[in-house]
Amino acid sequence: MARVGDLSAPAAVRREGGGRSLNAAVRFAARSFSLALLLIAWELIARSGKVTPFMLPPLSAVVERIYADAASGALWTNLGLTLYRALAGFFIATAGGIVLGAAMSRLRLVRWFFDPLISVGFPMPKIAFLPIIMLWLGIYDVSKISMVVFDAIFPVVTATLAGLAAVDKELIWSARNMGAREHELIWQVALPAALPQIFTGLQVALPIALIVEIVVEMAMGGYGLGAVMMSASRFADSRGVFAGIVEIAVVGYALIKAMAAIRRRLLLWHHEAQAV
Amino acid sequence: MTRAIVRYLPLLILALAWEAAARLSLFSSLALPPLSGIATAWADLIRDGELLDNGLTSIYRGAAGLMLAVAIGGGLGVAMASSRAVNVLLAPLVEIFYPLPKSALIPVTALWLGFGDGSKILLIFLGCMIPVTIGAYNGARGSDHVLLWSARSMGASRLRTLWDVVVPSALPEMLNGIRTALALSFILLVSSELISAQQGFGYLIGFLGDTGSYPGMFAVVLTVAFLGFAADRVFQLLMGWLLRWRE
Amino acid sequence: MNGHAQIVVEEVSHTYRPLRGRPVRALADVSLEVRSREFFALLGPSGCGKSTLLYLVGGFFPTESGRILVDGKPVAAPGADRGIVFQHFALFPWKTVQANILYGLERQGMPRAEREARARALVDLVGLRGFEDSYPSQLSGGMKQRTAIARTLAIDPSILLMDEPFGALDAQTRALMQTELLGIWRRTPKTVIFVTHDVQEAVYLADRVAVMSARPGRIKTIVETRFGDRDPGLIRTPEFVEKVDEIWNLVRIEAIKAQDREAP
Repeated sequence: MARVGDLSAPAAVRREGGGRSLNAAVRFAARSFSLALLLIAWELIARSGKVTPFMLPPLSAVVERIYADAASGALWTNLGLTLYRALAGFFIATAGGIVLGAAMSRLRLVRWFFDPLISVGFPMPKIAFLPIIMLWLGIYDVSKISMVVFDAIFPVVTATLAGLAAVDKELIWSARNMGAREHELIWQVALPAALPQIFTGLQVALPIALIVEIVVEMAMGGYGLGAVMMSASRFADSRGVFAGIVEIAVVGYALIKAMAAIRRRLLLWHHEAQAV
Repeated sequence: MTRAIVRYLPLLILALAWEAAARLSLFSSLALPPLSGIATAWADLIRDGELLDNGLTSIYRGAAGLMLAVAIGGGLGVAMASSRAVNVLLAPLVEIFYPLPKSALIPVTALWLGFGDGSKILLIFLGCMIPVTIGAYNGARGSDHVLLWSARSMGASRLRTLWDVVVPSALPEMLNGIRTALALSFILLVSSELISAQQGFGYLIGFLGDTGSYPGMFAVVLTVAFLGFAADRVFQLLMGWLLRWRE
Repeated sequence: MNGHAQIVVEEVSHTYRPLRGRPVRALADVSLEVRSREFFALLGPSGCGKSTLLYLVGGFFPTESGRILVDGKPVAAPGADRGIVFQHFALFPWKTVQANILYGLERQGMPRAEREARARALVDLVGLRGFEDSYPSQLSGGMKQRTAIARTLAIDPSILLMDEPFGALDAQTRALMQTELLGIWRRTPKTVIFVTHDVQEAVYLADRVAVMSARPGRIKTIVETRFGDRDPGLIRTPEFVEKVDEIWNLVRIEAIKAQDREAP
């Protein structure tokens, strides 16, 4: 189906040359260019006097603050804590989610029991359960990480289920034929085959882990990027708030990029790599 | 009917187990109030109007923010797909804000507008706009030029085709984007109300927790969770009806 | 029988300039005239630009050089005087059969009672009574194309532009649709420009057939293909077969040229 913008080209026209890597480079340049434009616009608007420095502190002031935080070590402490808790929750959710997904795909009873929990639980704002988790698990890291696990496990389970369901039956049959036992089938055949889809679930779960960790910190206070940002807001420290936004944006972006790179590496052997 | 019962039976079993465990004092009755106690507390909260007052506030904020996000985000997405100029201007913004965890907007909206309705509505509007815009953009881009040409040759002006052809073509993907935005709106609403508010579901949960009224707290938490689930289901039904023309 | 030249194409050239890749010259100095109420076929191998020419007459994009006149006026934009029917039907999938047919009438501002009556008449004309409230996804290919034709006929354009309209249909449906189209055309005479790569279809349906060269498209020759009676038995008569042969030989060379160009 031709797209609206494309209607000038008949199907027979072919693209020139080794376009792919050139294309990627052009896109990267374009994106960096627009980012640069955005940052410049930020600085100009902030200085223009149309908005108060409270509402929109200049980029330069925010960068200064970030630098100061980095120099004093505060940035690293908070960043480290946030990352530690988010990633801890993420890894537990990954392990637990894959195990649960695998169990659900193999054992009918497990599947029957957890299916409504997952389908009802997915669209729920699970953050509403935070006060309950705090009631049960206290006010320190355990409850924070538990909340992250609670939220991040759902996409992992559904992706694992979907990935395992889509595994080529013939793969399983020939492995069984060659004498593979049940647990070998799962770990050495089915899960690797389902890996692309499972990894996609992980790519969804990681940003969720970060978001939830940040919200939890905002609600519970203490240390961490979210907590610091929220207390800056309470103290009307707008530079601190914007510094937090920039820091979190960078972290979020870095995590997404890291996952994409890991995916490429991990799935090199998978037919997905050839399809690109 | 029986299939639905069998499907959701585990929930019933969990509910019964909960009630049994609470009554048998397996856990502190503070930490895990019996379901019956929670139900009573829920009824009380309805009776004295607390649940409804706060609930309506929350629903108002969520609905307002979401509707703004859908109207403006959808319009922007369609505009981006239809006009190269708009696309050049806005696409980089969308790409940059897409990976930003939307909850990072909570402190800044609180900074700007305080703890009342305004900051919550702004938060939900800004946070939910991106998935709607992306859905509308992708959907509109895929609109078939032969449909546009057919409409034009039947007397529709360029502007008219935007409404008659591009928007309906974009609807399936846009609805998916709205579904994501719907779930996100609940999250942002509850989060911001838990963190800082003087009214609303989140505030009520916090208040009940602080004053030790745990059955009530549980009641509100379960109510909110259920509303989030129900909203998604209702939206799925709406989607099914709106898209009934598909194969 | 034939009227004045309703559509005049003068020295039209067109080049596609895609955002990526090399520009492609689709048409090179094409000139022709289509008479009023004539059934005119554009025939040629794939990629020869016949659809492009059709779209230019339709006004969907401007000519690069040369001009196209319809009823003496240059074509500037799409209009309700030139209805178009596409190979893949281009029905609005979110509208029912009836709603699709009503669309053009709504755009014309026809009053409600009148347009409902007209839509009903058209539904009957194309034999789709009982399916007015079906969605396109529920229809077969032939039924979709009949809806598309009804929709285009609804606003009664004086010119009908058809872009390989039966190309997506199976052979039997195609044969039936050809006969039906002729029937409709006899009852409500219009100027038709019919694009196809099927020689037999062109000779059967059209009064004149323009054979186009391989890309960049030029008019190689125009052949008269008027036969007295156009019932389905015609295709077995020796005159018909000869005519098809004659034209096929003209097309064959161009088809080979087009294939050579596509080959690696």
